[in-house]
Amino acid sequence: MARDYGFHFHTMHGQAYWDETAYYQFTLEQIERDLESPTEEIHQMCLHVVDLVSKSEERLTQFAIPSDYWQAIADSWQAKEPSLYSRLDLVYDGRSPAKLLENNADTPTSLYESGFWQWLWLENNVDNNQLSKRADQFNSLQEKLVNRFKVIADYYGINYLHFACCKDTDEDRGTVQYLQDCAKEAGLDDYFVHIEDIGIAESGELTDLQDQIMSHCFKLYPWEFMQREEFGPHALKANTGWIEPIWKSVLSNKALLPLLWQEFEGHPNLLPAFFESDMGSMNALSDVKKWVKKPLYSREGANIDILENGKMSLSSDGPYGEEGFIYQAHTPLPKFTDNYTLIGSWLVDDEAAGISVREDKSAITQDLSRYMPHIIL
Amino acid sequence: MQTNSNQKRSNNINISKMRKAFSFKPLALGVASVLLSACSGGKEEAVVFKNVNDCVDALPSMAQKCETAYKGALAEAAKTAPKYNSKNDCEYEFGRNQCQTYNNSGSSIFMPLMAGYMIGNLMSPRPYYQPMFTSYSRYSSYRNNWVGADGRNFGDSRRSKLSVSSSAFNKKPAITRTISRGGFGSSVRAKASWGSRSSGKGWGG
Repeated sequence: MARDYGFHFHTMHGQAYWDETAYYQFTLEQIERDLESPTEEIHQMCLHVVDLVSKSEERLTQFAIPSDYWQAIADSWQAKEPSLYSRLDLVYDGRSPAKLLENNADTPTSLYESGFWQWLWLENNVDNNQLSKRADQFNSLQEKLVNRFKVIADYYGINYLHFACCKDTDEDRGTVQYLQDCAKEAGLDDYFVHIEDIGIAESGELTDLQDQIMSHCFKLYPWEFMQREEFGPHALKANTGWIEPIWKSVLSNKALLPLLWQEFEGHPNLLPAFFESDMGSMNALSDVKKWVKKPLYSREGANIDILENGKMSLSSDGPYGEEGFIYQAHTPLPKFTDNYTLIGSWLVDDEAAGISVREDKSAITQDLSRYMPHIIL
Repeated sequence: MQTNSNQKRSNNINISKMRKAFSFKPLALGVASVLLSACSGGKEEAVVFKNVNDCVDALPSMAQKCETAYKGALAEAAKTAPKYNSKNDCEYEFGRNQCQTYNNSGSSIFMPLMAGYMIGNLMSPRPYYQPMFTSYSRYSSYRNNWVGADGRNFGDSRRSKLSVSSSAFNKKPAITRTISRGGFGSSVRAKASWGSRSSGKGWGG
């Protein structure tokens, strides 16, 4: 069935990515009390940090955001340019408060699996009497995405939208195609261009391969890359309306984590986190024995080291780290049978919109992690 | 399956409209390349006129609307018609003497002449309109057909009454001349050269 619905990336590197032989079961209370409400609360705390950072050159420097983009971030934030979606990665064992590991606010993937495929899995299993008729799922993603596209279309006064991602990435292309389908459901015409093919017109606008001006564009491509590339300045000059908006580059940055801790120290859903330059504060927290060292910019578990009693242990390789690091108190991922589990908690704009569960044999979640469906019963 | 308003998941998903298989084909260059979702929205009646007189002859009581729509369509044609670097390329697609110069930021490019304009929702105070083009070139798949700015083929150009999907009147992106490409994506090239990332895996998180 996966193949029928274009689920091309259900195996990657020869390992199963989608596993439908098992699922995770939650109670409604666990979902509402431990995941849904905290997700919206964490998001509000994150927005507070955006407000703070967008107004402070010192903070923007600390976030390693190139100064050419500071004004654009402040303007975009002040104008409340609409965001589409985010995914918070949470550590949750079913009992204790969920802890925020990071915020994928700019380019979250595994959306199609969550919003569509997981939903279909439940419908089929209930229809075939494999699951109780009372089984539900925390997953209003698709509905909310379609509605959100309508709001964004109204905000910009548009009836079409460009979509972009990199070449040779089935997973990203799948996510973007899914969003194109959602936009179409919302009544928008959609145009696609690969990031590498984007052009600049004589008149300064950005263009697709057919020389059509990209007045508004959803990009599944990180702002921190764009801000360091040749066309980066044009992304601003061209007056393109971007989804996600540039103020989100504050949230997809690991510097968010120490700043959240500074502003909301002790919040049950936060882990202690500090900048590299603040080792003194780390050492003062004597009950934390293990720290995770993360690059400001990194994706999917790359370049993560674990610091235990002052010594590096388990580490993962990767191409990131030149912009600096932060330290976050280590919290073990809960282990069910042989697998470590991570919750992806989705937001559409500022509303919690569902969860996805991924598991892995390793304690650091890598990009090969298996996607597992869930039910509420 | 039963649905109720208290459930925590999407109430209904239009499964048939969700993608069955992703298309990884890049859009090819040129006028003929737009992938169109022909199924979205309902059908509506539209009329194509070659010029204002043609319109006024058919609809004497609507002369003002004929004029307004014509001017609007001309302006839209300048924005959204396909553009070519050389007159030859343009005439290859649309036929001899069917192209005009389009001045853009001081340099000249070429676009087809507007061959007619399509009007919909005629009875309303503000009818919809779109510029229409046609080709006289024997090399073109649009020969003797009505074609929209985005390459949508509306069939035989001897016909003036059309039944079109309502999206045919949607606003289209403007077309311009691109002077440079490839200024995005260098970070990916740099990071992809690092070890274990193989193709297929994306840059989202």
